[in-house]
Amino acid sequence: MKVVTMDTSKCVGCRNCELACAFMNSEMTCERSESKIKVNHYIDEKVLIPMTCLHCEDAWCLNVCPAGAIYRDEETNAVIINQEKCAGCKMCILACPYGNIHFDEEKLVSTKCDLCGGNPRCVGHCVAAALNFEEAEEFAERSRKKVDMRIAETMKNTCK
Amino acid sequence: MRVVIIGNSAAGLAAAKTFRKYDQTSELVIVSKEKGLPYSRVLLPYVLRGKLDYKKIFIKGEGFYGENKITYVEDTVTSIDTKEKILTLEENNKLSYDKLLLATGAHAVAPPIEGIKQEGVYHMWTRADLDALGPLFDTKKSVVVLGSGFVALQAAWSARYRGLDVKVIEIAKRVMPSVLDEAGGKLIAEKIADSGVELFTETVTQKIEKMDDGTFTIHLKDKEAIKTDFMIVGTGVRSNIQFLDDTGIECERAILVDEYMQTNVEDVFSAGDVAAGPTTFGDKHLTHALWPTAVEMGEVAGANLAGKKIAYRGSLNMNVTQMYDVTVASMGLFNEEQIDESFVFDMDRYDGYMKVCYKDGLVVGACLVGDSEAVKLFGKLRTIIRKGIKAECVPEKLESFMDIKIFRDRA
Repeated sequence: MKVVTMDTSKCVGCRNCELACAFMNSEMTCERSESKIKVNHYIDEKVLIPMTCLHCEDAWCLNVCPAGAIYRDEETNAVIINQEKCAGCKMCILACPYGNIHFDEEKLVSTKCDLCGGNPRCVGHCVAAALNFEEAEEFAERSRKKVDMRIAETMKNTCK
Repeated sequence: MRVVIIGNSAAGLAAAKTFRKYDQTSELVIVSKEKGLPYSRVLLPYVLRGKLDYKKIFIKGEGFYGENKITYVEDTVTSIDTKEKILTLEENNKLSYDKLLLATGAHAVAPPIEGIKQEGVYHMWTRADLDALGPLFDTKKSVVVLGSGFVALQAAWSARYRGLDVKVIEIAKRVMPSVLDEAGGKLIAEKIADSGVELFTETVTQKIEKMDDGTFTIHLKDKEAIKTDFMIVGTGVRSNIQFLDDTGIECERAILVDEYMQTNVEDVFSAGDVAAGPTTFGDKHLTHALWPTAVEMGEVAGANLAGKKIAYRGSLNMNVTQMYDVTVASMGLFNEEQIDESFVFDMDRYDGYMKVCYKDGLVVGACLVGDSEAVKLFGKLRTIIRKGIKAECVPEKLESFMDIKIFRDRA
């Protein structure tokens, strides 16, 4: 199962991912308001976070949707909103702990990342390799290594 | 083992789905009093408003029961023998169970006013109500809504949206006390007035009189009577516990359950609007009658029915809807008497009124009359309220604090 992973230490804040997402979804504009991925800039904290749906294993938006409008795509494992069924009640926006569901002010329904059917454009246009589309296990393995290295570094410094 | 779930809505269905996740072989039966496919009450005002097709209220298709190996029985449970573990049904005689889940929901109630129970006066709670109200919204010109809670105001907004002349009568001083704080209530009252709905607060209804032409005259205390074509009563709901007398199952206004959704009787569980369970804030037994709470309780009940020992982390009340051209949302504690301090966000940033509330240094709730962008902050706050995480930042920085924290925790 592949997921979009985000390495915040690599993100340069160019917002290419937002433009690519906006164009993919609107088919006519790169207007950032159309994008489902958002790069959060925190200047004071010196942090950049490219944020998009994590397609949670136990997706609360999916479980709580009172219209039964959110489902999991069997092929891509993406959590998807069926806009035909969505009532626009915003319960999913309230449910998402990451702020990754948006409201389409024109259609008056919720909208979110659908992994572009298995070929996420945000990843393809990321210039810094901060976004990757990879097997969840590989990502976990990499994270574990990173943490291990950090621990080793700390140990080395304190045991000197 | 045979597991029987009474109730076919948010809690019952969530329980069934979760149960099947852990147990694919045991027999699973759902007994439903209401006929037809399961539907969502939350969607009724959206259908009345014309935003959603009628058939979209159904949240599961015909295939759901087969796919999950559920035997579906359309019948009413009249009594329960908890010693012999047998249910008595109205039409199908008896049904035995090994484990039972009571997810029978709630029913709409009306205050004791003369003439309130007659044709032309409806609730907006069930599909039958929707069926009755639908044609009236198409043909009638005026409606009076009694009550100004979440359901009542949505009903009023739907009617106004469809061009009806709408009046709302509220006995209390302000609207939506369980959804908004005083300032928020004031703001939504302004929005209601702007939409053309006439709002009568501190108004006591004395009598509902049906006239010869089928319209109604509503007599008010110390105020001029109001005329209307029909009425909607939205003055709250009560748990469906009528059939539990003599079962030994402990009830107050709802069935009391512990963090495993277990009642005081062995192998009998309860979840949703009919149950009173633990909350995030340490209450032992509270009923929200809210969709998200019902889903969560159902999931916990389903796991425990399957023999897992999974405890509920406690319910956190949350509401959200779009009405009168604004987004109204709230979560947790937000009334001044429940909190120590609060922070009101700059109107421009969230395009409306948004208050985040603190108690003992922890975020405990928020309420909003504004736009949908702000609702995202609610989702993030939910996690730190639930976990009791201390937000070590100024309130204005809450959002970045949480976003950054998510990534630090994940890394």
